Amino acid sequence: MLKTVRACGVVAFAAVVLAVLSSGAAWADDSGDVAALRQEVQALRAEIEALKASLLALQQQGATAAPAPEAVPPAPLTTPGTAPPARSANVMNPAISAVFQAIGQSFLDGREDANGFDLSEAEVAFESTIDPYAKMNLYLTFSVDDAPVVEERYAQTLALPASLQLKGGRFKESFGKWNLLHTHAFPTVERPDALVHFFGEESLTNDGLSLSWLIPNPSGLYLESVTEAGTAREGTSFNSESRALTWSEHLAAFFNPSDSATLEVGASGAFGQTGPTETLLADLDAAGLTGILEPDERRPSDVYGMDITWKWKPLQANTYRSFTAQTEALWSRRDVEVLTGGVLEDDTIASSGGYLYLEGQWIKRWKIGVRGDLAGFPDSETDRTWSAAGVVKFAPSEFQEIRFQVKRTRLNPGAAARLGGDGDQEDTQVFFEWIPIIGAHGAHKY
Amino acid sequence: MTRHARTAALVLAAALLPSPARAAATVKVVASLPNLGAIARDIGGDRLDLTVIASGVQDAHFVDPKPSYIVKLRAADLLIVNGLDLEIGWIPPLAQGARNARVLPGGPGYVDASTGIPVVEIPANATRAEGDVHPYGNPHYLGDPLNALTVATTIAEALKKADPAGAASYDERRKAFAARLDQALFGAPLVELAGGAKLEREAAAGTLDHFLDATSIGGAPLRSKLGGWLGRMAPYRGKPIVTYHKDASYFAARFGLVVADYVEPKPGIPPSARHLEELTVRLQQGVAKVIVTRPYVEHRSTDLLAQKTGVAVVTLPLEVGGDPKATDFFALFDLVTERLAAALAPAGAGTAAPKGSGAR
Repeated sequence: MLKTVRACGVVAFAAVVLAVLSSGAAWADDSGDVAALRQEVQALRAEIEALKASLLALQQQGATAAPAPEAVPPAPLTTPGTAPPARSANVMNPAISAVFQAIGQSFLDGREDANGFDLSEAEVAFESTIDPYAKMNLYLTFSVDDAPVVEERYAQTLALPASLQLKGGRFKESFGKWNLLHTHAFPTVERPDALVHFFGEESLTNDGLSLSWLIPNPSGLYLESVTEAGTAREGTSFNSESRALTWSEHLAAFFNPSDSATLEVGASGAFGQTGPTETLLADLDAAGLTGILEPDERRPSDVYGMDITWKWKPLQANTYRSFTAQTEALWSRRDVEVLTGGVLEDDTIASSGGYLYLEGQWIKRWKIGVRGDLAGFPDSETDRTWSAAGVVKFAPSEFQEIRFQVKRTRLNPGAAARLGGDGDQEDTQVFFEWIPIIGAHGAHKY
Repeated sequence: MTRHARTAALVLAAALLPSPARAAATVKVVASLPNLGAIARDIGGDRLDLTVIASGVQDAHFVDPKPSYIVKLRAADLLIVNGLDLEIGWIPPLAQGARNARVLPGGPGYVDASTGIPVVEIPANATRAEGDVHPYGNPHYLGDPLNALTVATTIAEALKKADPAGAASYDERRKAFAARLDQALFGAPLVELAGGAKLEREAAAGTLDHFLDATSIGGAPLRSKLGGWLGRMAPYRGKPIVTYHKDASYFAARFGLVVADYVEPKPGIPPSARHLEELTVRLQQGVAKVIVTRPYVEHRSTDLLAQKTGVAVVTLPLEVGGDPKATDFFALFDLVTERLAAALAPAGAGTAAPKGSGAR
């Protein structure tokens, strides 16, 4: 005990000497003296360290015999700045975010069936890494009246070799650009007509596997190949009744012509099967042959696509100014059966469609976009729609956006007949949309 | 298993597994922001094959995650990030797309430069009603040059792990960086007298002022030897400034300035006409004489405030490359302290920075 006290005294004395030397005392101005003093300070510092060590040893020895003098509280084990984990079960929970979409729409040309305001969709997204090897995403969509739908749910590898990434579950098929977007992330309020006609009101979505490969190349370009196989969810081009396998391939190349501009070019192909056309079913019904002639439920149906996206965002003002031009073209080749003279005969229907979207931003928070659509239908060579839309978007913050859109559509007689109309038709629609996002900060889109 | 099958399996495994010995002697490093890149370059020198994602003239919150960066990250040994969620919008999609487990959080090559930094302004209740708040605290910690020492150590340790052959070089260069930073921050004469380590400790503990005043040499307080960036800013201690975004907290604390108000009403929210009017009144009442803005934010609001109230507007880069003169971390603080000191100097005492000066 005495030893401990003595050692404490020595340390205290040395500390006082050091303090006096290093701060209180008047130092000689001449640099030789300063150097000598500094050496002395160094020596004393070393002595203090040695004394501290012996003091610690003594304290440890005497710990059982006598209570040690109160120690300085130990430094926290966590590094400063990294907040200690909250003591809560929430720590390992996935990042959760929710997006709501309220759409008001009105037809100005007499069609009143769809007028009104809707909470058109609410989406809840969960994202988390599973372990060091994979992550999982889950997107649940709650539409106006229906039960919640799993819009996407997939696990994705993070650590496969050879620049591969494997995704499994339900996911939006990697076909062009727009098909991958969730509705709240659409550049306009609604989907381009060609995508609706080809794939339905929802994106072309697969339950299956997706293998993405970042293709190595000497010029260091971003070249990606995405190969997917699965059962596509029901749509016009694929799987009207059957659950046949759909294959798809998407190739994308990304260029940086300058620091402020980027160009992305992609080619896609989706290869699957689908059942009889609506026209055939109607013809069979009219001829009283329903149930007598069995149409083939699995006819080959292929859709090809090209996409080009050019973006300009000046580095220094990228939140204030930007310009985007995006276009996609789709071609469908669908083998069908037609009723000719009471028998089913093979035929092939080729159709196409596409859109061009231009968007400009001149001030923070405001964007203006225009979109032109030309869209055929995969089960008809003649039915067609044309439309032009203009949208104004205001984002009060990064977490909400308000949109106002006007769309004018012209339908030829065949297309109009699909909606129960007669002859050429024109429609004008007005949309109002409000998209607030809460929860985890999502990644920015590019 | 037959011998052929075993051989085939081995060949396949060899083809699939990344080779442990890399052919190139350099370490492939990707830094999210230019300041981190500049410090990494100072520590790593020619041993680094360095790519910096963001440009110095860009807002670090809103860098676009261009797929071309994924290609850079695919082959990277290290990814150095600022952390504290500053890059939440763009680093995760790039790192997850890179198919390189080394640079994912938790991987051996993921370097969070905020490790060990005393973070300020950690919100007790993170809510976006307060604007785009950072739930882990203010991420602009390299505004305090002293924090660069911690970052340099973090980077040096990561480099030593990734490239053990260069360990001695990294240690040596880190020491040289620290010595250079001490001299730049405190001035060579003071470092010569008191030692860099001592000054760093006093500065980090917030007791530097007391130390400089209480210690004298030949009757003159040690403060008279203070030079460097701190010496240049010393006459303006306690002076108020208004900043555009809440990104000068660490800088102000180090240099003894007071951030009296912000041009943004809340972080990330552009100023409304009403907020600008209120700010005009406050500036007319003398709340501050200088507004600090950044190269990447709009200048209309600050020009309007300057025109209405006569305060000086000074554009200070936050990152290396944010101004043609800010060529490295040292040049950045040379420029920032010089420009700000000129703006804060009483009229006639120096050349006030021209309105909206700097890269734009």
